[in-house]
This record gives sequence, C-alpha cells and structure tokens, in this order.
Amino acid sequence: MKRPVAVVGVGQTHHAARRSDLSMPGLLREAIDRALLDAGLEHKDIDAVVLGKAPDMLEGIMQPEQFLIGAVGGHLKPVIRVHTAGSVGATTALAAVTHVASGLFERVLTVAFEKQSEGNTMWALSPNLPFTPPLVAGAGGYFAPYIRAYIARTKAPPHIGPMIAANARANAGRNEYAHLREPMTVEDVMQSPMLWDPIRYLETCPSSDGAVAMIVASEAAAKKGPRKPAWVRAGASYAEAMWVPARDQVNPAAGRACAKHVYDAAGITDPWNQIDTAEIYVPFSWFEAMWLENLGFCDLGEGWRIVDRGEQKFGAHLPINPSGGVLCTNPIGASGMLRFGEAALQVMGRAGAHQVEGAKTALGHAYGGGAQYFAMWIVTSEL
Amino acid sequence: MSELRNVAVVGFAQAPIVACDAHRTATEMLYPQVKRALAECGVEREAIDYQTAGSADYIDGRPFGFVAALDVMGAWPPKQDSHLEMDAAFAAYYAWIRIQAGECDTAMVVGYGKVSEGQPERILNLQLDPYYQAPLGLGPMTTAALQASAYMARSGTTDRDLAEIAARNRAAGARNPDAQVREAATAEALQQTPWVVEPLRQGYVPPIGESAVCLILAAEGKAEELCDRPVWIQGIDQRAELQTLGARDLSRSASARLATEKALAMAGLDSASEVDVIELFATNPAEEMILREAMGLPPAGETKPVVNPSGGPITGHPLMMTGLIRLGEAFRQLSGRAGAHAVPNARRAIAHAAQGHALQQNLVFVLGRERRWS
Amino acid sequence: MTEPPKEPVKYVDANLYLPYRYTAGDCRARFLHALKDKRILGSRCSKTGKVFVPPLVSSPESFAPCDELVEVSDRGVITTFCIVNIPVIGRDLQLPYVAASVALDGAALSIFSAIQECKPEEVRMGMRVEAVWKPDGERQGSFEDILYFRPTGEPDAPLESFVHRL
Repeated sequence: MKRPVAVVGVGQTHHAARRSDLSMPGLLREAIDRALLDAGLEHKDIDAVVLGKAPDMLEGIMQPEQFLIGAVGGHLKPVIRVHTAGSVGATTALAAVTHVASGLFERVLTVAFEKQSEGNTMWALSPNLPFTPPLVAGAGGYFAPYIRAYIARTKAPPHIGPMIAANARANAGRNEYAHLREPMTVEDVMQSPMLWDPIRYLETCPSSDGAVAMIVASEAAAKKGPRKPAWVRAGASYAEAMWVPARDQVNPAAGRACAKHVYDAAGITDPWNQIDTAEIYVPFSWFEAMWLENLGFCDLGEGWRIVDRGEQKFGAHLPINPSGGVLCTNPIGASGMLRFGEAALQVMGRAGAHQVEGAKTALGHAYGGGAQYFAMWIVTSEL
Repeated sequence: MSELRNVAVVGFAQAPIVACDAHRTATEMLYPQVKRALAECGVEREAIDYQTAGSADYIDGRPFGFVAALDVMGAWPPKQDSHLEMDAAFAAYYAWIRIQAGECDTAMVVGYGKVSEGQPERILNLQLDPYYQAPLGLGPMTTAALQASAYMARSGTTDRDLAEIAARNRAAGARNPDAQVREAATAEALQQTPWVVEPLRQGYVPPIGESAVCLILAAEGKAEELCDRPVWIQGIDQRAELQTLGARDLSRSASARLATEKALAMAGLDSASEVDVIELFATNPAEEMILREAMGLPPAGETKPVVNPSGGPITGHPLMMTGLIRLGEAFRQLSGRAGAHAVPNARRAIAHAAQGHALQQNLVFVLGRERRWS
Repeated sequence: MTEPPKEPVKYVDANLYLPYRYTAGDCRARFLHALKDKRILGSRCSKTGKVFVPPLVSSPESFAPCDELVEVSDRGVITTFCIVNIPVIGRDLQLPYVAASVALDGAALSIFSAIQECKPEEVRMGMRVEAVWKPDGERQGSFEDILYFRPTGEPDAPLESFVHRL
C-alpha cells in the first residue's frame, strides 16, 4: 500500500430481524452517526463516500445509493457503490482504503447495509437462472453438498457444526449489537430441524436488517483523531470463475490466493500464532472449520479438530468471531464490513464485552457468490 | 498532486450496439470483446493485474447477475477483482484510483448487460425513492422530460433547437460503425416524430440497445508497451447530488459543473473549450445543453470542441456501459482509431459519464496525448 | 378531509412486477433442443479438450473458445448431495428430496439435479445414476425434459474417480 491507512471510527446499528422503527435512510444514519461520533468528525470532514450492499432485489430498489445520497452526506461528493455478492461489505471497505491510499482523499466514509426485511430474501437468494428449473430454495441448499463433501473428506464427527453454532451464540451474548443472542447448547442445535442435510436450522445465519459504517483516513488525519486508530496493514479481494472443473468449493483457490496475498503483504508467516483474533465469514456453521483450513490456520483436514478442542473459543488460543459472526447477525450487504469493522474494534481495544484481551493483530474475512469472491484485511494496533 | 501516476487508456473493444443480439447471452457478448482488447494490446490475460466491471442486477434480470461475467474475464486462476453496481465508467474511475494507490499497474474494465431482456422504462422507475417518487410512476423518460422542460423554460430553448442537436448527433452516428442508429436525419424530420414525453420526441432519444465493452488502463511504464499511442488521463473527478427532484435546480447540473472544474484543475486547464473533443453522456438534446453549460461552453453550435463525434448516446445507449463507451470513444479519437468519425488533429478530450435520473451523478475524465505529470 | 390520520403511516407496500424475456443464446438453445431427443450436449474446449455441460461458448478455465458440441452420456455419478426439507418456489417436489451434483460420464463439470426413486437416506457419494426423461411426445426442449436422476444399481464409483469433480 502506497500510504498508511487507518480506521478512525466504527459505528453499527443494533441488528434485528426487522428494524421497523427506521426507514432505510434512518438505518444508515444510525450507523453513520455512530461512526462519525466515534471518530470525532462531521459530514463536512468527509471527502468521499463508498457504499456497498448486496443485490438490489433484496429491497426492490435499483441502485438505492442514489436515493440515499442525503442519508450518507454525499451531496456534491464523490460516491461509488460496490457490489460483490456476500463479500460486498468487505470489498467496499477495501475500496474506501484504496481511496485514501491513493493520496487523493483524506477521510472516506464507507457504509454497508441491508434492510432485507423489506423484500423477499429467500427468493432473492435462490439461484434464479433462466432456462434452469429451480432446485433448491436459499443459499444453504447450494452450500450443503459441499459441507457434506468436507465431512466426507475429513471424517469429521457430526457434532462439530453444532459446536460452532453454539459457540457463536455464546459470543453474540457478549455483543450488544448482535441479532441472535440467546444462548443455545450443542444439543439444542442437534435437535433442531434439518433444512438441507447436513445443515440444521440452528446452524444457519439469520436474515437481519442492519448497517455498519467506518471512517478510514490518512496517517495525518488519523493522528489528529481522538482515538487510537486501527491500521490497515494489508487488504485484497480475489474472485474465481464458476464453471471451472478444477474448482474446489471446499477449499477455494480464490480464498487461498487472497490469504496468501494479505499474509505476504503483512509479513505473516504463521497465522495461527501471529494473528490474535479473526472475524471470518461463516454463514453456515461448518464453514468455520473449512475456512480455518482455507486460511492456513492449520493443515487440511484439521480445521474441525481445532473446533473440537475449543481452541477457537473466546478466551482460547485464537478466538474466531468473538462478535458472534454471520451466524448471529446477517444483514447480507453489511456482513462483510461487520467482519472488517469488528476486527478493527478489536485492535483498537474497543470491542467492549467481547474484547479479546491484548489483541494487536486481527484478520477480517468475507466471501460471496458460489464461494467465488474473497476479501480480507489485516489490521494492527500499531502502524 | 506531483505524486500522481500517469495512467493511460491503452485498449478499447466494443460490440456494435444493436437492438437485440438474439444469438448471445450477456457474457457470450462480452467474451469476444475481452479477447479483442487484450489482443490489441498484444498481451494475454495474465498480464493484466486487476479486473473490474460495471453492471446492474436489475438490467440483468437476476440477483448476482454480474457473477457470470467472471467466467469470460479470465478469472482462473483467481484474479484480483471488484465490481460496481454502476455504469462501467465508474469502474474505470475506481481502477484509476487503484493504480494511483499503487495496488496495480494495469486494469481491465468491462461493461455488459442485455438491455433488450427487460423494460428499462419500468425498471429504472425502481431507482427512485420508494416513498414519494417511485409510486408516482416516474421513469427515466419522465424525469428527463421534467429536466428538459425546466431547462427550456429558463433558457428559452425551442423544440427546433433540440431537433438540430439531435440531427447533428444522428449525422455523426452515421459515420460510426458501432452506433445503433446509423441513418442521418434532418431536424425537420425529427421534429415530426411523436412525443415520448413532451418536450422529448422519439427522434431525440435513443432506442433500446445492448452491447458489451472492454477497456484497458495502464500506468506509465506499462502503457507504452501495450499501445502505440496511449491516451493519458490528465484529470478526473466525479460528484453525486441528492436524487429528490424538487431538491435541486433541474435546469442545471451542479455536480457536472463541480466535477468538470475539479477535473480541469487537475489537468491544469482553465476551460473545457481547450479540448478538441467532448464525449457526453447526454441521452437527449436538453441534457447535452445542460452539460455544455455546466462545462462553461456555449449550449449549442459547431464551434470547437466537437461534441459527440461518435453520435453520442442518442445513437446508441446500452445503459450500464454508455459512460465507458464515451471514454473509449475519446481514446479512439486521440489515438487515431476513430476511423470515419475521427476529428482531425484531436489532442485533448473530455469524456463524461452520468448516472441516475436527471443527471444526478456525473463523472468527468480529461484526456490528452501527453502525460500530465513528469 | 379535515381529520388527521389516527395512525402514522408505517409501511408502504410496493408490489413489483417486471417482465423479462431472456435470450438463451445459440449455444444453450442447441443444448435445450437436443434434450427433446434425449441427448445431452456439451461443448469441448479447443485447448484442453474438456467437455462442459451445459455447453459454454468459452472455457472459464483455459480462456479459449469452445467450438465443438459433443454428446455426453445421460449416466453419471453423484459427487455430493444434500437432502432438502424446504420447499422450493416454483416447483412441486415432495419433501424430503435429494439435490445432487451429478458428474455425467464424459463431462468435466457436474450438473445439479433431483434424485428420486430411492429413499433419501440411501443416496451415497459415488452412487451411479441415470437420467429419467419425460415420455416421448411430452419433451419440449427444456431442462425439465429430464425429470430427475435415479440409481442404476451399478456398483459405486471409486472415490478417486470423482473426489476432484465436485
């Protein structure tokens, strides 16, 4: 990166199944106002706005950023809108970082959101390809066969997914903004209805309304701020084609390429020991085990063992998703930026009850499409 | 500013704009353009560091419509990538910023989308705020007509004035093999066409059409290897405005004015009249006049600079890439690739892109045959 | 109307109806027409020889054009699957049903299809299956001409033969 870039403010909404107390502009304002307050800034201090959200069909509004210019304080400012499926919140943040790294913008507001209660989420997420009759409803139906393949490859026992789900809820209990916070046991999960075998109801992400905003800034601007910022040490986004015979959706090449890129740029050679906490995109429980492998935290086939030993729990060696993650909060357009924002909060020491003690280096990760889009960043407490 | 990198447009391939390509899907239309752009630069896909795209799910008629493009952009092995839900010109803007940030040296920008599959007048109604404006049933034609009316009332512009601008664009389009509308027409004939929404006649607005485009950007050092006459980006800026139709003076484009001022300042120019060619994202003659005024130019006339020598959007408007085509056309003009519609001795150009209803958002590139920064 | 409303307006219902007419493209059209004759066509990559089903005009892997259409078998192996308990919009499949990735003999890619004529719990990765077509006279040249896949009863394919073809 040409110039250091810092996260100087983070704000998010209280995520819920339906924020019927706010319109869409109101939802964005809740997150943006909190981020500006956090950073000690006003709209007039912002040089550009980078907005991201997932398919417009989720709310039935085409390019909603156009009617939301007022809500984001974008009048007569440069504004762009990113859309990279589930990873969009993360690629949006990376686009904002790039704006600052170019030297052309001092402070950039970036915001990602979804108010999917206002549309038909299941319909918007089901593969709607023309000339192909529908086969499965919902994203889970697409991913379940690959989870089955992971379990077959690794011989992982069936309780691993439920352990991940129960642990996510325990984490969300420490995060006041999370959508699903009620604790549940592994047995609760294993008793819940099977949706797309092997994915059970309590192992799936919810559908949430929510928004998250960050302000990224230059080194000079960051040093003027009231708080200790998070420094963006590295960031990258990669994508791979769909119909490639050599693709491995259990251990995607684009995920490995993205991880290698950010680890090399950040000087990380031993992720398991050099990263203090990671917010990774887990919409269905088993992906936590799969991504531990894909992200190089362990050898192939070993991800489920980390879970089995509880080494990724809060307070353990490498807390994963201390916020509760996507399994507990999933406004689709925002989820990627929530991963990045939560990672930043950790190294800023401001994650409240879900603060990982002494976190200095954190990873944020998101993915989207048919496991095609991957975006990651590494944030640190020191420049 | 002295730390900015010189970045050039080094390649541009476009499928001729047609009402409907009944033989190909959106990605099948894009594939040959990607291959062609790379071939013209004399490189394989691996030589390009970054890829980005502009498209809209609602034009594609499916959520996640842009994902399919990865399969024809050479995204295997995995590539660094992003996508904007905007005209592909904005993806080029973002790619330029990435190059400035040192994150890549070369970038491929694509635009695609089969406009013929949907009904844009209905679809683009959905861009409007869902509480007050969309329920009125406004579409892009009605909002454009509102703007045209406002401009005509303020400026005294007549139906004849609009017809003459349309006729000029039609004459230019007749010389452009990639335009959709390739027959010239007189102002009198165009004035006979029926109203679409008064004061906009059918002869003043584009038909529905589709295309696919690929444009390549490269930083100094690489640009010279990829192109014999790279066209350098000397200035760039974009600005958005509030969408609410009653919240702004529709007869003017404040964002186009500001974006032009900033881009010209970056380019070290005092006035848009210093360029030889301007390619405007003007989808009707009133928009052209409003944009010219915003850029500090007389609203009409044959004076330099030449406006829309390609025929402009009136002769072909494939929606999510119309802006990138303006950039591509400026590249063609300055690199000697504009064939029958070339403006002789063109050394500098402005390429403009717009988004949203009534010129809500505007992006301006200032381009030249010379590098801006040494 | 002099009285203010008793309740503030909280929701605005907007029912959207947008008609789209999708272009199949010549390549897919040939594939769909061939289904009427119980033939499954794929396209062959001009560089690697790999066969894509449904056919593609270009290979996303090699980036080369796929110029040739070839026929592949309507039999193949289940590489992976899931058992679905949620009804899908727009189709009438009895729950639970199996949605499987089927690697057809001769094709480099798998297609996604329903598995029927066996109990969901009997389905296995590696199971050999064959297409069940709509009867003669009912096929229209669409993906629905293949009703589903069913087990052939052949021995399961060995893991190595499909583990890299999800």
